[in-house]
Amino acid sequence: MPEATVSPRIYFLTYAALLCLTLGTVLIGYLDLGWFSMFVAVAIAAIKATLIAAFFMHALYEKVVIRLLIGGALLWFLILITLTMCDYITRSWLPVPGK
Amino acid sequence: MSSTEILALREQYGTSDQQREVSTIGMWIFLATEVMFFGGLFAGFAIYRMYYTQGFMEGSAEMEIILGSVNTAVLITSSLTMALSVYNISIGKQFRTYLLLLTTAVLGLVFLGIKFTEYYLHYQHHKVPGIWFESSSPHSGAIELFFVYYFCMTGLHALHMIIGISIVCVFAIRTALGRFNARYHTPISILGLYWHFVDIVWVFLFGIFYISGLHR
Repeated sequence: MPEATVSPRIYFLTYAALLCLTLGTVLIGYLDLGWFSMFVAVAIAAIKATLIAAFFMHALYEKVVIRLLIGGALLWFLILITLTMCDYITRSWLPVPGK
Repeated sequence: MSSTEILALREQYGTSDQQREVSTIGMWIFLATEVMFFGGLFAGFAIYRMYYTQGFMEGSAEMEIILGSVNTAVLITSSLTMALSVYNISIGKQFRTYLLLLTTAVLGLVFLGIKFTEYYLHYQHHKVPGIWFESSSPHSGAIELFFVYYFCMTGLHALHMIIGISIVCVFAIRTALGRFNARYHTPISILGLYWHFVDIVWVFLFGIFYISGLHR
């Protein structure tokens, strides 16, 4: 499969979207959303990362094997994060004898 | 077949497309290991953020939001010029690719300049753990921990930038020497993947360090 060429128009649109999201994340940051603020910041970052990977890195246009590889890496990362957080979040739930 | 292509196609590959695909897969595997590399630090940050929410919010309020936002825009712009470099070499525009790669490197240097300016301001505000850290907050220990993560993670990111800028400069020179053309430019595409990945890491760093304490 020859390399996909993505038109510069797509790049400029992606760029504009990324700048808007950056501005958006800063403006939302000024609102007091409590614990939700970190969630929003990471969610917007995830959207920006997806745009960069899909269009700038051509992930959207690549072969299935590369998309599987990206998906596998993300899945594995999420498994590690989830299991780690499961430990730390639940530590205070039950009393530990001797503590 | 030109001399560039004979040099470019290694004997273990059947076609140049196959060679390009193998290189691309290799780079994505490397980037997957980079996700793990930075992932450990992100996980550590998340855990301490959960344990010391107040202190980490106060630490985040110390960030230079204007410099950080400008820096994000600079890095996103450098990603655009990098993507345009890959596009231009794929249609055989060598001189334009050369200029775009140089622009990418300059934007990378601007990013580092702003980043080190921020470091200097943190130093002036006595917020450098281990060297000069002072805080009157009851959460000073947590704020110090926040800055340990801040300097480790942005420092590691800056190291990736320095490596990236060096390679971009080398490839700009190689483009000027005519080593890449419309039919063979895999190294520039691969470099693009690295550059965009470093951009992605920054996008997350910006989110977790600068944004969460903004409203304070």
